[in-house]
Parts: sequence; C-alpha cells; structure tokens
Amino acid sequence: MGSAGAAPWVLLAPFLVLSVVFTAWPLARSATLSLEQTFGPGASRWVGLENYRHLLSDPLFWKAAGNTCLYVCTTLVVQLPLSLGCALLLNRPGLRGRAVYRLVFFSPALVGVVFVAMMFGVIFEKRTGLLNQALHAAVGWDLEFAWLQGWVMTSLVIATLWQYMGYNMIYFLAALQNVPKDLSEAAEIDGAGAARRFAAVVWPAIRPVGGFVVLLSVIGSFQLFELPWILLNAGAGPDGRGLTIVMYLYQQGFEAGDLGYASAIGWVLALVLVGCAALQRRLAREEVTA
Amino acid sequence: MSGAESTRRTGWLAALGAHALLAPAALVTLVPFVWLACAAFKRNEDFFTSAFLPGGEGVLGVAWERLTLENFERLFGTLGLGRAIVNSVFLSSATAALATLISALGGYALAAFDFRGRRAVTGLVLAAIIIPPPLLIAPGYQWLFRLGLLDTFAGLILPAIAPAFGVYLFRQACASSVPGALLEAARIDGAGEARIFFGVALPLLRPMVGAFILLTFLGTWNNFISPQVVLQTPDRLPLAVAIAQLKSTYYQDYGLLMAGTLVSVLPLVVLFMSLQREFISGLTTGAVKG
Amino acid sequence: MGERRRHIAGLMGLDGLPPAGVVTALLAVASAVAALAWPSSVPEGRSLWTSARLHEVIYRPILAEWNERSEPKVHVTLMSLPALERRMLAGFLSETPCADLLEVERRIAARAFTGPLESVGFVDLTERVRSEGLLEQINAASFSPWSSRGRIFGLPHDVHPVMLGYRADIVEAAGIDVSGIETWEDFVRVLSPLMKERDEAGRPRRYLLNLWQTQGETIEALVLQAGGGFFDEDGRAVIASERNARTLAQIVAWTTGPERIAAEAPDFSASGNRLKLEGYVIASVMPDWMCSIWKNEIPQLAGKVKLMPLPAWERGGRRTSVWGGTMLGISKTARDSEELWRIAKHLYLSPEMARATYREGDIITPVKALWSDPVFAEEDPYFCGQRKGLMYIGLAPDVPVRPASPYNYAAMLAVQDAVGALTADAKAAGRYEVEWLVPAARRRLGEAQARIERMIARNVFLRERAVSAAGGGVDREGGGL
Repeated sequence: MGSAGAAPWVLLAPFLVLSVVFTAWPLARSATLSLEQTFGPGASRWVGLENYRHLLSDPLFWKAAGNTCLYVCTTLVVQLPLSLGCALLLNRPGLRGRAVYRLVFFSPALVGVVFVAMMFGVIFEKRTGLLNQALHAAVGWDLEFAWLQGWVMTSLVIATLWQYMGYNMIYFLAALQNVPKDLSEAAEIDGAGAARRFAAVVWPAIRPVGGFVVLLSVIGSFQLFELPWILLNAGAGPDGRGLTIVMYLYQQGFEAGDLGYASAIGWVLALVLVGCAALQRRLAREEVTA
Repeated sequence: MSGAESTRRTGWLAALGAHALLAPAALVTLVPFVWLACAAFKRNEDFFTSAFLPGGEGVLGVAWERLTLENFERLFGTLGLGRAIVNSVFLSSATAALATLISALGGYALAAFDFRGRRAVTGLVLAAIIIPPPLLIAPGYQWLFRLGLLDTFAGLILPAIAPAFGVYLFRQACASSVPGALLEAARIDGAGEARIFFGVALPLLRPMVGAFILLTFLGTWNNFISPQVVLQTPDRLPLAVAIAQLKSTYYQDYGLLMAGTLVSVLPLVVLFMSLQREFISGLTTGAVKG
Repeated sequence: MGERRRHIAGLMGLDGLPPAGVVTALLAVASAVAALAWPSSVPEGRSLWTSARLHEVIYRPILAEWNERSEPKVHVTLMSLPALERRMLAGFLSETPCADLLEVERRIAARAFTGPLESVGFVDLTERVRSEGLLEQINAASFSPWSSRGRIFGLPHDVHPVMLGYRADIVEAAGIDVSGIETWEDFVRVLSPLMKERDEAGRPRRYLLNLWQTQGETIEALVLQAGGGFFDEDGRAVIASERNARTLAQIVAWTTGPERIAAEAPDFSASGNRLKLEGYVIASVMPDWMCSIWKNEIPQLAGKVKLMPLPAWERGGRRTSVWGGTMLGISKTARDSEELWRIAKHLYLSPEMARATYREGDIITPVKALWSDPVFAEEDPYFCGQRKGLMYIGLAPDVPVRPASPYNYAAMLAVQDAVGALTADAKAAGRYEVEWLVPAARRRLGEAQARIERMIARNVFLRERAVSAAGGGVDREGGGL
C-alpha cells in the first residue's frame, strides 16, 4: 500500500475532471431546475418547493410510482430467482453445451430495445399474437385476452424477463465460481441434499454478489422507460397502466415542456435509489457481522 | 464402490433433469431470434400474412422462393447503412477503450493507494452509480451546446468515458487480484508508477478489462437516444439510430427494420462469443467481492 | 524475494496490455480514421427538418430543382419524431442550432405555443399570409392548429378530411346497397346483416366498425365530427359538454356489450392489418393519408375497398372530420425569413408538390386553386376506381376546426381514459344503451376536464398573462388559440 502523494490523484484525474464536467455540473443544474417551472420555449420562473409539493398530490405521479414499484417487486421475485436457478443448473460440473446455453440465454441482452418492443408487440397482440395463439392451442386460452391493455405491467415483466434473465444469470454464474469447491464436495459426500447444500454452502458464499446483482437490477428496473414507451406507441397505455416514473419524467419534461417539474421527479427517483442502496448496504453489513 | 457408483448414476440423472429444464427455456428464448431471422428475409406483404416463414408449396410447406435479399440491398444501397456501421464501430470501440482505461486508472488509484480523501472519493463514486441518467438529459444537452460539442462525436464520447460503475468494478478487481506486496516490490525495484500500472497491475486485471470492454461496447452500440439528440448531421448517425429511424410513426417497413436489427446484432454476437470466457472470469474476480 | 523479482520482471517485460484491450484500441483507431476522414457531405444553405419519411422523399427532387436555379440552397434532413421535438424545443429554448424551416406535426407544434406569445419560436406569418391573399387561397380551417391567440405561425400542409373506408367486396357480395346511408343509425341498420355469421365460440365473424376504447385519435375524430371538441377558441377546456357526453355514450354502446358492432383492428400494426385483410372489420375511419398506408401495408385489398363520407350523427349533419396535420414554420433563429418564406411558399403552394403529395401519399393540398388539377380526378384502382381525390376535396369545406391548444394531446388521452372508464361502468352495470350511458359519460368527462384544467391551472405563465389581461391587454386565459 503506497502512500505516495500525487500519484493517486494523477491516476484519478481523467475520471474526476470528466465527472465534474459531465456529471456534477448537469446534476447541480438539474437541482436548480427542479426549483423552477419552465413552460416551453425560453420561459422559466422560480417556484421554490412548489414542484415537490405538487408531486405529492399528483395522481399521475403516484400511478407511475405504483406501477414502477409493482414492476420492481415482480421482477425481483420472478426474474432474479430464475436467473439464479439457471446459473445453478449451468454450474453443474461437466454439463455439456454450457457455452451454448450461456450464449443463448445472454443473447437477448444483445439486441436493442426497439427490436424487443416490436417483437413483444407482435407476441402480445390480441387474436393474432403468438402468445395468445400458443396458449389457445395448448389450454384453450381466450384469444381476445388483451395483454397490452389490461395487463401491461405483467407483459413488461415477461418482456424484460426475456431480455435480461441471461444477463443476471451471467453475474450469478460468476458468483458461483467463488463457492469453495471443497466445502461443496464435502457436503455432497456427507449426503446433504441439493437444497441443504445450497442453504449451507452456496448461498452464504454468493450472498455478497447476490446483493450487488439485486441492487443493480432494482436500480435498472426503477428506470424502466424505453420499452413500455415504444411498446405502447409513445404513450402510457390505457388509463396510464403502463406509466412508469421515468416515462412520466419524460412526458413532463419533453412533452409538456416543464423541465423543472421533470427534474423534481428525477430527484425523487434519485432519493428512492439512494434509499435502496443504503438498505442494501445495511443488509450486507448485517450478514457479515452475523 | 457403491458410493461413487451411486453418485455417478444420480449425477447422470440429475444432468438429464438439468437439460430437461434448460433446453425448453433455451428454445423459448430463441423464438424471437428465429422470428427475426425469418422477418429479415421476408417481403413486406408476407410480413402480415405469416408469423414465421411464408407458407407455400416448397419443402416443409414453406414458400422458399418468396424469401428475398431486397431488404439488405436497400439497407446498404439507398440507405447507406455501411456508413452507420462504421460510425457505430468507432463510437463503441472508442468509448469502450477509453472508458476502460479511465476506469482502470481510477479503480486502481482507489484500491492500491492509501491517501487522504480516498474515502471521500470512493463515497462519491458509489453515489454517482445511483444517479439516474434521465435526470441529466435536459441540463446535459444545454451544457454540450455551450461547450460547442453538439453534432460532434466528442460530444457523445466524452460524457461516456468516465463511468462511476467502471471505477467501482475496477476497484473491486484490483483489491482482489492485485496484491499490494507485488506493487511494493516493484516500487522498491525502482519502477515508476506508470510502469507499475501498465506492467504489473493491468495484466493482472486482464479479465476485468475484457469484461468491461464488452459491457461498454454493448451499451454504446445499442444506445440510440443520446446520439439521436446530440448528432445532427445524418452522416454521423450510428447504426442504432439509423435503424430506429426506419420505424417512423406512420409507415412501418418491417422487413427493413428487421434486416437492420439482424445486421446490428451479428457483430455483438461475434464479440460475445469471443469474449465469453473473459467476461465471466472478469466478473468473477471483480464484482463478485460485493 | 528473488522469485517475486523474476515474476515482476516477466510481467513488465512481456505481457503488456491485455489482448482484448489491444484489439479494441486498434479497432477504435481504425474506425476513427474511417469515420472522421470519410467526407461528410455537409449541405450548405438553409436546412429543413421533417419527421415524415414520405415528405422527405417528395421534397428531395423539388428542392434539388430549386437548388439548381435559385438561391438560397435548401437541404432537407429527416429525423425521428422525438429527436425533432427535442431539437426544436432546444433550439427555441436555449438557442442551440436549429433548422431554418421546420415541418412539424400537431403534437409538436402545439408545444411551441405554450408560454407567452413573444416566445413562440416560429416567425409570425399572419401579416404575410393576409397581405398575399393566402387566407382565401388556402382552406381556412387548415390554419387553425397552427394559430395561437389570433396569430398564424405556420403554413398548413394538408386538410386531412376523413371518410369511411369499407369492404365493398363483402358488402356487395351480400347484396347490400350502401348508397342510402346518411347517418350512423342508417349505417348500423343497413350493415347489420353482415354480423350474422358466427364462429365456433358463437362470436360474430365480422364487426361493422373498426373502433375501440384505446383508439384515442379515432375517438377524437368522431367527437369533432359530432360538433364537439376539447377546447374552445379561447383555449378553455370544454371536454365535459353535453354533446361530447352523447358521442362518448354512443361510442361505448358500439364497442361494448353483447350487442356491440365494433372491434379493434389496430392501425400501423401487422396483426391489425391481418384482421382488416380477413374482413374482421367492415369499415374503418380513413383520413386521406390513411389511404396510402393501406396501399403500402395491405396491397392485397386493392380493388376491394371503397370510400364513402362518414355517416352523420344526425340527419343533415357533418359528413366528415379531421385527423392529423403538419405545418411548415420558419424558425425565429433563422436569418432572412423573407427568403425562407419564398422557399416555404414554393414548397407548399406549388402544383408539383401538390401532385407529388397526392400521388405518393394520397394527401390533398389545402390550396383551393390546385383542387382542379386533373390528378385529383384520377380513378384510384385500389378503391375500385373511385375518384377519391374529388370525394375528399368535396368534403374539405366541412372539415371541423381544430384549436391549437398545447394541452390537446393530453386532452385526447384523458378522453380516451374516460371512454375506458365508461366501458368499465357499462360492464359493471350490465347496461349498454346510449340513454343509460349518457349520465355516466357526463361524470367521466367531468373527471377528464378536471384533470386538464388542473394542468392548465398549474401553469405559472398563464396566471401572469391573466393578470396582464385584466390590466387591459389582449391576452386571454388558457393556453390555446
């Protein structure tokens, strides 16, 4: 560990300079913006905390918040366990075709969001959609089931499941490489079942990374915007069922023209994310001391 | 010994079980890609009448003669997608290379040195990871204009090459893969700091370098929102924007759009296939320490 | 110690940079050279931005010809709707580089009219339009979405009258004569025999009208046809009017319940096109530009579709509506608006443009003098030889006026939600008759209106303007015309 004087600062210099210029400055500007109200071209007025006050009583904001939280929780409960499950299956020693599976599961993360939106637009259509057709043939599902009108968040969970399951799976795979093999083998020889082995050996070893992946996933999920935006044809869906926080931010800032209000929404979102991160650190620290 | 035998037998059965779960999941994951591949070679009229391949009298009941290369001809001919590809390659590789370098420098500085202000900078890096990008769009655009960076590649590259997430990843990677004693020894040998970084630390960080290059390349390649806003000259637009523009509000040329998406995905698939192993080992040694 | 020394020496000497890094760096350098050295055809002269692919295709030859013989040179740039929107607002708001001429649709243009009149980013064209007699030459109603507080800010690209397109092959095969249809009541009565055919589930194989709670723009067109609307000329929200309530009640009666006659065949979607091809819906609401969409997306229907004026809401009522719209505006940031005005007129008033726009996009020009051009009298083979150009032109004088409120899009969405809520009300009560639905419609529209009024009330600038109006200015309250 060197305690050399200038060296670390020189190494950090490019990062710090660029961050100040392109992150810190716009961030500060967005803070002052959130205390203004702007309406369209060239006009802005100082309104103090009015934007935040309005936010608290804005039914559309709460709808967006509700939808987004629902989406985050569902993703947490559905996507991450599936990713972990796939990682566990792929981690089996001597599994043939592991590289192929890895590529297949990760590849959805390689396509752009425009394609995902188009693809799932086709899949979720009423009557002629692939999903309804397949379900109808298999279990007599109602062909007229309107995924994108009544069950928007569910549809989004399915779409992002396809898109990111492999991505998270890779992170978990990496984590699983860290499970001490000798412990795992010892447990197996001792006759411990797979579930027992998981709880006693695997889970504690990957918990730190598990927390990290969960945090990343939560942060990403809270910012869901492009996919529902394109999928619902640049709208929030019927009755705002597809409205997310960042979508509302975009609508207020770039469609209604009120960049001040949009910045206020952005700051509330940032606070929520800080809260999540703090929570995660708290939980991680707890389990280390436990 | 019956113990080893029974382990082998259950091992075989369990492997079959794993494939029984993984294979259908993999097939389902591939469905959209099959759809993509079919759609890229279909003419527009056929797009509406058949889900995958146009039905007809050919082999397997498919009208093979209706498949066409005209989408690709138009893409590279009249639409000049070749130039967009070059732009994308440039933006993605430059951003990936520079972001990786700067993040590595920063992460190394935070991990390998003990200096006053280290905790503060680390805290700032962690906080910066959480800042939601939508918050910065509006002030960021204005700022780029004031700096004279609109309609330049620099305006896209510079804000993207100081990612806090990258610094974090490299800090983790450094902490776990670069023993301080090694650095100390090199210093005692009289090597300069630059030499130590490039000669000692960076080779040990190779997996993380590969992983981060892939991640950044992927993210930049598919990004279409910022280039669309920052770049004004059509000649400078990257692939993702060119494809997104094929999806105009009124008229959809599905075949073109799908062909463009296919062209866009292939380089990423190749990249991932070649960097797959490094990607995982990079994440293993890096992020995994939580 | 010696071990370590050798190890370090080895590392420093040979390995160097990781291979992935080297490859990426080389790639970056190579492509940088390619990307930066590739000569960029920087077009000189004035710029015109548009988001409509169709328009760009039409403008290029016209502008190429202009650039050859006149000054200044103009080049057209195509960009996506969100990019155009963002750059226009940025150009107006923070003086980032903006095009000289901007071709924008209703939604985006309305955004420019928020805030005080002085800060509208488009050049005020009112005087020029008046003095050059364009108000008489161009269909009057076409100016309305591009005007704010009595001033005109753009040249209209279109009129966009609306007709009803129907499956003539199915209708005639069933021996039905549609020539006597005058009202929506007639429409339902005359065509209902087509719904007798049922599928295995007992549901009708065909529905009469392509209409659904989620088709906000179609709903808006019908609302305007019925004489209702969302804003008055002063920009005040009039969403919760009696007329709108009746219209909404009728729409829900058509789209919900066991006796419904409408179904959803979404526009601009592959599956919607398939449904139209199958004849799942007999009639669709078709503005002039929709004809070209159908020709491109459903060519298999050529010779099977015919057009007729919209059935009126009451006998003798309006037989058309309006849907969409684009304008050409001159940005205040451009120098020499005089020359740009010439270019704008050349583009929008020229016969070549009118002909090309009709041939490529089926859009009829708002310039009345050009309506006698033979191109509009051509028989259209897709529509069974109908002279649809003349049919649309005949309806042009009746096209309803659209106010340019910046809240119009939000209002359309609020009304769409009201239709959704009303549908749920109907299903919950099991009542689908128009008379029963009207009071519930009034309630739902009241909610929509309150929502919009809340948005307007939040606007600090409008509050200021109201104050100055009280002090004797000519401003009015509200964000509209």
